[in-house]
Amino acid sequence: MILQQLVNGLTLGAVYTLIALSFSLVMGILGILNLAIAELFMIGGYIGFTVIIAQLPLPLAILAGMCGAALIAIIIEKVGYQPLRNTPVITPMLSTLGFSIILQNVATNVWGSDPLQLPDQFLGHRFEFGPISIGAMQLLVLGSTVFLVALLAFVVQRTSIGRALRAIAENRDVARLLGVPADRLMLIAFILSGLLAGAAGVLVGLHYAAITPYVGVETGLKAIAVMVIGGTTRIWGALVAGPLIGIAEVMTVAYGGSQIRDFVVYGLMILILLLRPQGILGGARTDQGPRV
Amino acid sequence: MSTYYAGLLADTGILLLGALSVYIILATGQLSLGNAGFMGIGAYATSYLTVEMGVPLTPALLIAAFGAGIMGIIIGFPALRLKGIYLAMATLGFGEMVRSFLLNFETMGGSGGFSGMQHISVTYIWLWAGGVLLLIMLLEQSRLWLEMRAVHDDETAASLVGLNTTATKIGAFGFGAAVAAISGGLFAHHHVYIEPANFGFDRSIEFVLAVILGGSTVAPGAVIGSGLLVMLPEMLRFISDWRLAAFGALLILVLLTRRQGILDRNLFRLFSLRKQPS
Amino acid sequence: MSNVTRRNFGSAFTAALFVGTSVFALHAAQAQELKGREVVLGAIVPSSGHFAEWGRTNTVTLKMLEKQVNDAGGINGAKLKLVIYDDAARPAQATNSLRKLAGDDKVLAVAGPLTSSACEVVFPVANQLGIVSTSQASSKPGVAKANRPWAFRNTIDEGILAKTTVPYYKKAYDIKTVAVIYDAKDATAATVGTRIMPAIVKENGIQVLNENDLLSFNTGDLDVSAQVTKLKSLNPDGVVVSADYSQAVTVIREMKRQGLIKPIVGATQLISSAILKAAPEIPIVAPATFYATQKAEAAQKFVAQLQPLLRKESNLPPEIEPSMYDANIYEIVGMYIEAAKKAGITAKPEDLEKDRVKIRDYMAKLQGFQGLGGPISFNEDGDAIKAFYIVEGKNGAWETKVRGCSSASGGGCGS
Repeated sequence: MILQQLVNGLTLGAVYTLIALSFSLVMGILGILNLAIAELFMIGGYIGFTVIIAQLPLPLAILAGMCGAALIAIIIEKVGYQPLRNTPVITPMLSTLGFSIILQNVATNVWGSDPLQLPDQFLGHRFEFGPISIGAMQLLVLGSTVFLVALLAFVVQRTSIGRALRAIAENRDVARLLGVPADRLMLIAFILSGLLAGAAGVLVGLHYAAITPYVGVETGLKAIAVMVIGGTTRIWGALVAGPLIGIAEVMTVAYGGSQIRDFVVYGLMILILLLRPQGILGGARTDQGPRV
Repeated sequence: MSTYYAGLLADTGILLLGALSVYIILATGQLSLGNAGFMGIGAYATSYLTVEMGVPLTPALLIAAFGAGIMGIIIGFPALRLKGIYLAMATLGFGEMVRSFLLNFETMGGSGGFSGMQHISVTYIWLWAGGVLLLIMLLEQSRLWLEMRAVHDDETAASLVGLNTTATKIGAFGFGAAVAAISGGLFAHHHVYIEPANFGFDRSIEFVLAVILGGSTVAPGAVIGSGLLVMLPEMLRFISDWRLAAFGALLILVLLTRRQGILDRNLFRLFSLRKQPS
Repeated sequence: MSNVTRRNFGSAFTAALFVGTSVFALHAAQAQELKGREVVLGAIVPSSGHFAEWGRTNTVTLKMLEKQVNDAGGINGAKLKLVIYDDAARPAQATNSLRKLAGDDKVLAVAGPLTSSACEVVFPVANQLGIVSTSQASSKPGVAKANRPWAFRNTIDEGILAKTTVPYYKKAYDIKTVAVIYDAKDATAATVGTRIMPAIVKENGIQVLNENDLLSFNTGDLDVSAQVTKLKSLNPDGVVVSADYSQAVTVIREMKRQGLIKPIVGATQLISSAILKAAPEIPIVAPATFYATQKAEAAQKFVAQLQPLLRKESNLPPEIEPSMYDANIYEIVGMYIEAAKKAGITAKPEDLEKDRVKIRDYMAKLQGFQGLGGPISFNEDGDAIKAFYIVEGKNGAWETKVRGCSSASGGGCGS
């Protein structure tokens, strides 16, 4: 059973990694906690589902989910973040909270509060490797996660946009003095996080073949924990921390008891914050967050 | 007064205390997203004392507040190492851990909740809420508050000047926790039934919202914020299906147009009775 | 005929005529007794938030009932008015709604709230204010019992239902061992999963394989793969899933995904149309007091009237069917209407308190009220005595297997 649980943990971890990355992009570069990301994830999933139920191909569904989420992210950036970018951190964070409330309401009204289920042929296709069985969708989720993380790392570390993003993360004012178009890049950060969250939404929705307007909330909070543990600004950190937490959660359930699961996850997060705030893969000790 | 408005007033008083708990901690530059945890501790502790041990309500509230205050101070120590959003996330984690603990705490019902408390009147709730508010407003005139603002504005400078920033920050946590605990105890005896779900992230955010919307720079701002948060769902009833979305939109609107919150020092001065220096 | 006989016959006839006319006149008078007045009833439903769909279907059901009653002449000539408030499934808003209904709208009785969490907080206030509050869905044990005499529930305590559900389950699938999984964040699910089901299952000679380590998940969890893997490793004959259907769907799908195709048993929380789509080949055994494809005549009529209205609503899914909660709230308000007709209320503002007491007493002594599945009355705990059915969900449809009655003696629910 333990091997199967490891597989379960990896899959769950992949989910967390994707969402954690979305948070991380906005957090690391703009220093704010975008609470609407969990709902971007949820809406992305719903859009993807709508496309699939309309009998359109899978890649189109993923694309639609990503674009839908990115579009909403742009709206959030323009309306909720741009005007507030020089205020203390709570204000834009609460503004994103406002958006997340609106998005949940929209989803409930458009798709209903009951779970939206895909026809169950999506659950099929399991591959057996000895004591482990892994589904086709699971493999897709795992594969896509690694691919997306690598893609993001490439963009951030090898392209000029990535360089500009990192400059802004380092010091926004100096970056602007050096000619970096900060406002445009903040928008790009939001768009990227929206694309990621949307992709995660569709992939996760496909894997579990059911979605509700409230999938974002619980998973989102855990993803924040994953982001912290991996190192808020470290992309590869999210890839490591996601599976780590996923496996920790799964093992707690399997051997410790489902009840203490949340305790373990948040406890780990607090421990990391206290002992090694830069996260597992963090570099220099940078626990200076922007002042509240 | 109609029972409906009495109920709303009671909810406002309870929320006010929670908002003030965030306000106190915020005054030293720390954002706490886990005060619902302290509220939960206060609610369960007070209820245990009154229901299982027959302690009268007022001493029970004080004992619970004291206990929560100690917990707040304990939390305050590791909180010193964290700044800004990292502290906020740590307090978020703390709040979730408390909720998770309460969910598993079978002695007091776990997910089934706990009841048996005696109902209290609106007047009693506002005696506490008003009392704490007055206390804080008095505190705002004192030297202690100046120290807290100094820590809020620039911690490094404050410590260089010789202020004991550690004591200030930890003290704020303790005080905030105690006030949140009182809010919890009153909540428990107003609704006469509590369950862990009452004290989750939603509740912590509600406190923060009340402070930020109402006015984060003056204590009475929390009154406006609490009143708004309690009344808005009622006033928006006519929108039915889109009630929550309307609330979210209003939130964003207020944040965009008046980011210091509705009540700020200038507005407050207009209403105060103190004469302006000529 | 002799003169005496003729005279006796004459007076008897006159007497009968007199009595007959009086009764007729009285009935006619009573039927128009409240003409020109309004009978106001209240309802608290969750139209936004987590259970928005239930609240919205409840609202459509109530509006349909309101129209039916008023078109048929009202309540003894008075117009029926239903005031419906949304509590967003939040206890604080439910309490405020009750206070508003009782104090401002001056309703005679309240249908709702729906969730047990809201009931726990609202029922004490109902007692305080002296107004009947009847829940259409709460089935957490003891909630009404703790709040007599004004609290009622048109549902059956899960403990009673399980006593009939489990024996059928055992026999139908030859169950000797089970494993339990429940939603730890949901009070009713947790009580059923940790106390009620394990006890009754053991009483029936079935072994609970994970007795000391009952598996749980939290409402809203996306992933239960770890729990299901563990369930699979125990290799039980059947699985007890104690959760609301929207959460149970997650578990069932994971069971199918991991290849754990074993029959499931649970509480009324499982009853829905949605759960039948999760994994049609996995049989689900649960108790119900109503389901959309039920064969009883009154139920079919109800569905025929309500379903088109539900499907016309823009904010409801197109294949929606009436749920057990819709049936329950329809019955509750039906009871209030009957009480208003027969308990001698005056519907005058100055008699508000007295009218509320009359409704309460009528509810407590309710006899022979025809619900959608048979007659309904209430026991001392305030819970309903009505017929229930053990249904089996398989291949996309529910099928009645056993019929039971929730009274202590097992009889009294009609045939």
